[in-house]
Amino acid sequence: MLLLVISMLTFGAMNVLGDPLFNILGVTASATDEDSLQKIEAAKEEYNLDDPLPVRYAIWLGGFVQGDFGVQFSEDGQPPVRNLIVERLPRTLSLVILAQLMALAISLPWALWSASRADSKADKVSTVGAFLTISIPNFALAVILSYILSIKLGWFPLVYEADAPFPSRLHAMILPAFTLALPAAAVYQRLLRTDLITTLQEDFILTARAKGVSRRSILFKHALRPSLFSFVTVFGITTGALIGGALVVESIFLIPGLGRAIVEAVLREDFPVVLAIVMIVAAIFVLLNLVIDLIYSLIDPRVRR
Amino acid sequence: MRTRPSRRAAKYGLAALVSFSLIAAACGGSDDNASDDTTADSTADTTADTSDATATSDAPTTDAPAGTDAPEGTDAPTGTEVKEGEIDIGMNTDVGDPVPGGTLRYGLEADVDGLNPTSSALSAPGLMMANAVFDTLTAWDVDGKAVPYLAESIEPLDGDFSKWVLTIRQGITFHDGTPLNIDAIIQSFETQRQDPLVGLAVKPFYPETGAVDRIDDYTAQFNLLEPNAFFPGALTGQLGYVSSPTWIAAALDDPTLNQKPVGTGPFVFDSRSPDSVTRFVRNDSWWNGEVYLDAVEFVPVPDADTRAELLLEGDINALQTSDPGAILKLDEDSSVQQVKDETSEEGFAMMNSGSPPFDDIRAREALTLATPEENYLNLIGLGVLRPASQRYIPESKYYNPDVTMHMDDPAAAKVLSDEYCGEVPENCTDGKINMELQYPAGSVVLDQTSDLLIQGWSGSFNVTVQTIPQDEHIQEAALGQYNVVLWRQFGAEDPALDNVWLLCRTVGGISLNWPKFCDPSRDELLLQAQATTDEATRIDLYKQIEQKLHDDYLYIFLAHTLWSNAFAENVHGVCDRVSPEDVPLRCVSNGRNWFSSIWMSE
Amino acid sequence: MTDLSTHMEHGQANLLADLGQMPAQDVTQKGRRLGIGFWLAIAFMVVIVLVAVLAPWLPLKDPEKSYVIAGERPPYSPSWQFWFGTDQLSRDMFSRTIWGARISLTVGFSAIAFGMLVGGSCGMIACYFRGRFNAIISFVFVVLLSFPALVLAILITSLLDRSLFTISFTIGILSVAPVGMVSRATTISFADREFVLAARSLGARHPRIILRELLPNVVIPMSALALLGVAVAIVAEGGLAFLGLSVQQGITWGKLIQNGAGRSDLEDAPWIAFSPILVLFLTVLSLNFAGDRLRSHFDVKETAL
Repeated sequence: MLLLVISMLTFGAMNVLGDPLFNILGVTASATDEDSLQKIEAAKEEYNLDDPLPVRYAIWLGGFVQGDFGVQFSEDGQPPVRNLIVERLPRTLSLVILAQLMALAISLPWALWSASRADSKADKVSTVGAFLTISIPNFALAVILSYILSIKLGWFPLVYEADAPFPSRLHAMILPAFTLALPAAAVYQRLLRTDLITTLQEDFILTARAKGVSRRSILFKHALRPSLFSFVTVFGITTGALIGGALVVESIFLIPGLGRAIVEAVLREDFPVVLAIVMIVAAIFVLLNLVIDLIYSLIDPRVRR
Repeated sequence: MRTRPSRRAAKYGLAALVSFSLIAAACGGSDDNASDDTTADSTADTTADTSDATATSDAPTTDAPAGTDAPEGTDAPTGTEVKEGEIDIGMNTDVGDPVPGGTLRYGLEADVDGLNPTSSALSAPGLMMANAVFDTLTAWDVDGKAVPYLAESIEPLDGDFSKWVLTIRQGITFHDGTPLNIDAIIQSFETQRQDPLVGLAVKPFYPETGAVDRIDDYTAQFNLLEPNAFFPGALTGQLGYVSSPTWIAAALDDPTLNQKPVGTGPFVFDSRSPDSVTRFVRNDSWWNGEVYLDAVEFVPVPDADTRAELLLEGDINALQTSDPGAILKLDEDSSVQQVKDETSEEGFAMMNSGSPPFDDIRAREALTLATPEENYLNLIGLGVLRPASQRYIPESKYYNPDVTMHMDDPAAAKVLSDEYCGEVPENCTDGKINMELQYPAGSVVLDQTSDLLIQGWSGSFNVTVQTIPQDEHIQEAALGQYNVVLWRQFGAEDPALDNVWLLCRTVGGISLNWPKFCDPSRDELLLQAQATTDEATRIDLYKQIEQKLHDDYLYIFLAHTLWSNAFAENVHGVCDRVSPEDVPLRCVSNGRNWFSSIWMSE
Repeated sequence: MTDLSTHMEHGQANLLADLGQMPAQDVTQKGRRLGIGFWLAIAFMVVIVLVAVLAPWLPLKDPEKSYVIAGERPPYSPSWQFWFGTDQLSRDMFSRTIWGARISLTVGFSAIAFGMLVGGSCGMIACYFRGRFNAIISFVFVVLLSFPALVLAILITSLLDRSLFTISFTIGILSVAPVGMVSRATTISFADREFVLAARSLGARHPRIILRELLPNVVIPMSALALLGVAVAIVAEGGLAFLGLSVQQGITWGKLIQNGAGRSDLEDAPWIAFSPILVLFLTVLSLNFAGDRLRSHFDVKETAL
């Protein structure tokens, strides 16, 4: 299945193009004295480095499936990868979730507002605004926002601290989440607006209007539902994209999350960490797709077989 | 009744999307050809390892591994009266008596991988943290002499500088209750010496067996290969940290314990969140007096500007930095106290004399001549750094005024490079020598330094740039897989302790003599100078050595690194440290300070 | 790097949503004039590309040279001498931004060209042929999509070199899947149409059908997507550069922004970062706008179905 393929690819790439012995032992790997040679032998045995690639893959897979993610090669003392994941995954997840919540909170009212005023001057301005927001690269946005809100106004802290109490951690996450949320919100807004405008011109809306149903009720109860269809798709895809965006944002705002971990791990060629994180992210993607499909069947009975 | 026939198409498309992923997930994997790699060739296979992890966004050049403070110590020694002048101690005086309490939050250049002195290559940040939790056997006093600290005494055996008898104090216990005796010392020392990485800087000076003899429960004898009158200085740094033998043994079995150090120091390890914060709390039963601070927290902040900003905002109370921009920023705020130290390392571009093109001295000289030093001092040094022609600042007694660096002369460089290219055309393209400049990725300052240097060098050289992760960078340097790197070195308090980077014996497969340059006559001078305490002789010898270094064109000195340890207004006592015999001790060393005497007012 | 997949998918989702719109809608939207905005955007792109290509012959200052004014330490603010000011090494920002365009634009265009070629043809062929072939290619696409984009980019660039080719290729690979998806979806809607069936019944062979009948119709929505894609690719390069992982030699917009994004630089000399940000933003904006306009102009609806 999908995850299998991904894991094979990553494993293969790292082992073929990198050098596992060096990663594990560092400089010692090329030393020739007695001591070092012993260490090299020990490492080779422990990590089955003399076995062919497929065998090593199978061994890794076996352990992985049972929850043993291996150890971090590049960290002193080689702590288990699991610790890293357990510590960092929640941070990244909360960042993404917070961002999506913000994006929703921003985009829904915005879309409703602009759909009900379609083609008015205000709406045109807002469309342009949305467009501009999408066009800014997220790292540039991060730089700009942190400059204005952290440095100049001082509303948000500069650094994220892992051991601070929950409220201040939350506070430190707001700006990074907002950086991710803003472009996503603009995307949602544009999509929703288009869909809403389409739906609003449907017959059944006119019927409801004729019956005297309030404007607000129309917007919320009747117009949104069909629009949700494509929205849910984009929402799901955006979540995936946000995980990628979290990488950049984590690096800029110095949040010790999964994104930063994998960037560092790839640069230091720490295989187990890379593999574990890639697998987890891929798993999340797959899960997301499943959830989306589920939601489809919920909101549109005709899709159910 | 709605009719939406075209919707079906859309649904089909979207559903197809979704269901394909489902199908893919449900069915077995079919053949796939999505390949990640195309070009068959890949770069060299050197990869990262557990060597030290200094971030370099701070400084124009990098730190050496095994700490510049490994077995051989640091900084240039000084005459007694010049001490005050060289280390600029900008701490407030007249602050009253120490009061207990407060948590000191300290901003570091980077985090470290581990805190085990016997196996972790501790860089500046690592050594700083170690200063909180470990004590060293000896310590530098304000006159540049290494005096006993954890040790009770350290004396040469019958005046023979190759045999040193060390006696430690009694009645001290480690944080985990293990009593301190000579076996702990021996174990710390030997474990470090045997470590394949950290031991590289230790081994060259001791015999393979019998490096240390146990005399009794509190005494040991160190046997060196050559006489070294400054051996006590070697125990002021990483080699001198004394760790709990119980902990060391446990860590060998469970390496995760490397993150939880156990020593005898003024603070006890409390908690650690890598890349975020490491916390130590007061050791109420510290053997050398009262400790005032409740706790010390270390926060790695790789970006120098941000670090300075945090101090100015009050988010941290102290920091270490060698970034000229950050120092200027701190200078602007008069409430910030800074201890500035110029006597430590030098920053330079280093050439590998072990492989072409820099195995030829003409290429080396050409690169030196072509270096745009003036622009460097102006644009990177920002007027804060002083140019370096050698390993000593002008105020040092070892300073050789005859040694001057001739740079900013692209014309003279061209003459040499033309000559070289005439003879060795295979290393040249279009009349310029081909070379590669390597430095750690992730530092904007280093990018700028590299760009600037290339501006000057490009008249005679075709420079390709390689940025690689920090760990890999140090490895490549050690393995001699480089042409030119940006580096930082030579911060020993006494020059004898910098020999490890220069001797012939440290040229090897893994070489701490980074430029891989062996000169037996230079070795002779170095060993002579470390074997005598006669000032006049030493001064003369070191001046000769400096001249040799200059004439061999191995290090293109750019500037003396300026370290600043900056503190908030309410932090005091940084320079009040004393030995058990009440000898006033040196305040800072290579960007690090100690914590036992620090206290905070409101 | 939020934008890479999101934008692609958004473009796709929009496309599909539009495909599903009521005929009633089509009358107002179809045939919508490209408008002056579109031509302005195209004009801007042409200018930028021209300037970038001609850079070596234009009277620009040397982008690598430090123009230090004695007695004054750089960075110098914008003036008649330095239109965009200078950076910390007193290099002319205007010149550097233009020279940066050369690599950034090259990466953008070649990456998408690659993506279009591979993804587009795969998508078209896959859908046309249905069956096993379709399933395989779709699977490949999903694999690629599930891989966190940035991670893949980092993985490849760290294991191989960081040349212009590799970077372009990497981003190209990342665009193959989204492009393929859209191309497939578009082709789906055409493959059943009368003119294709007609051609088939006339005995035309597959390649002929693909080339003659499908391709011209698919190309138009694809070019809209291409413009959007180039924008995303340029931003992707910027993101990589910001993490320090872009092209090793040479100037790119991302590197320029990274150079100027330090806290004190932003405070004291914001022009260092904002010059490339501005030009990057305008470029992306133009591409987005043009792509969007193109799409809504050429939206081929299923009228009369």
